[in-house]
Amino acid sequence: MDKLDSAIQTIHQMEDMAEENRFFCHIHPLAKVLVTLWYLVLVMSFDTYNLIGLAGMSLYLIILFVVGEVSVKTAFRRLRLLFFGIFLLGAANVIFDREVLFRLHGFAVTGGMLSMLSLFLKAGFAVLAAYLLMAGTTVNGMCHALRIMHVPGILVTLVLLIYRYLVLMLKEAARMRQAYLLRAPGQKGVQMRAWGSFAGQMLLRSMERAEQVFDSMTLRGFQGEFPFLKRRWRMRTSIVYAVSWGIALFVLRKFPIFYIAGGLL
Amino acid sequence: MSRIELQHLMFRYKRQQPEYVLKDLCMSVEDGQSVGIIGPNGVGKSTLLKILTGLLLEYEGKACVDGFAVQKQNLDQIRKKLGYVFQDSDSQLFMNTVYEDVAFGPLNYGMKEDEVKMRVEKALCQTRIENLADRQIYRLSGGEKKLVSIAGILAIGSDILLMDEPSAALDPSNRENLIEIIRDLKGVKIIASHDLDFIYDTCERTVLLSGGRIAFDGDTKEVLRNRELLEANGLRLPLSFRFMN
Repeated sequence: MDKLDSAIQTIHQMEDMAEENRFFCHIHPLAKVLVTLWYLVLVMSFDTYNLIGLAGMSLYLIILFVVGEVSVKTAFRRLRLLFFGIFLLGAANVIFDREVLFRLHGFAVTGGMLSMLSLFLKAGFAVLAAYLLMAGTTVNGMCHALRIMHVPGILVTLVLLIYRYLVLMLKEAARMRQAYLLRAPGQKGVQMRAWGSFAGQMLLRSMERAEQVFDSMTLRGFQGEFPFLKRRWRMRTSIVYAVSWGIALFVLRKFPIFYIAGGLL
Repeated sequence: MSRIELQHLMFRYKRQQPEYVLKDLCMSVEDGQSVGIIGPNGVGKSTLLKILTGLLLEYEGKACVDGFAVQKQNLDQIRKKLGYVFQDSDSQLFMNTVYEDVAFGPLNYGMKEDEVKMRVEKALCQTRIENLADRQIYRLSGGEKKLVSIAGILAIGSDILLMDEPSAALDPSNRENLIEIIRDLKGVKIIASHDLDFIYDTCERTVLLSGGRIAFDGDTKEVLRNRELLEANGLRLPLSFRFMN
């Protein structure tokens, strides 16, 4: 399958996943957004060298992967490029910080190695937490939560429109690429000399489609702010979910579970 | 009072352009009428519909919907009464699910959740797609998308329905289904199409546009039987009449 088609399909699959009839999908988006934000704050608050404490925060992700019935394999496959980028970013630390902190069976562990690992874990946990949020919440749901949190309507509308237009643009690009390749047998992709007109055409066509979508919205009373449909969320479960995760994450932050477990052993 | 009234309507896309797309159009549409707008490509069928919706406002002459002049200050009132079904349904549908998309209009007009639910269910029932309520938009077929587009308009409570090439890209069974649904709908229906058989099946009155002017305005059967008039305007007899003759 074409990469563009595959990207569109991935977006649709994520939407499907967020609409499924799973426990995680029935929790109010506000509860999920708040818990995710709380988790991110706590993960980022760890000291650079506190790797064991930081590793304890993985419990949240493990539990959500299990309870949310989200495939770990698929998540890592979809996010592999991002993880690779994070790894490259962290790798620079090894070069710049060469101070030996301790030796492990004769192997010199430098500050750069630990900070690289710490950066990798923090960024990886943040990306996975965001992925888990998206896997159980629609974009509309998340934007609804942002509005409840009094994020300005114009910003939320912007997020929604960007999301909608991104899909339109991908679809236009896929259509144009297909039309190009059908008339260019033997070519692996769009040739360099065609890129100028290809990009220009794509922009114009996407703008035209976007204008039509906007016309359709204004004809149905759109005044600049997206309306949100209230669903039958499980409110009590949502409150319990937010409060219990709020406490549990705080406890994980305060008392590094792996230290304690190691001490017991 | 006429639901739609056009008096000496003229339109050109840029003020600097000498050529008018629509020239001195005069017509009125009464309540309950189904009007077909036919004519060759580029004659201004879609332009006329866009003027009525207020998407194109720089026209000359007079265009009124339910007594409201089609002008910026009246667009809120006009758009509650009048809905536009785009030729390309993909450009019209943008929410995740059918229910959310049909509910988009009523929610924008500040209706309560219960009212929205009632309207969405009624619109889905009118278009016979109750079973699709929870379906993702991207999973729909072309015919289903067209029906969802119409449901989205009906849910607002619009009783003036403007449709641009509604039968385009529909297979025979979806086309038949759409014809039946359009026939059952109450209110004013204005359908711009090249599909003359579709116009024959859905409209009792037809307006033939030629060179931006009205070349014929009257009974659908009369114009669709007139081979000379149709051929002079780049159209052909619909299949239903070809076999009759």
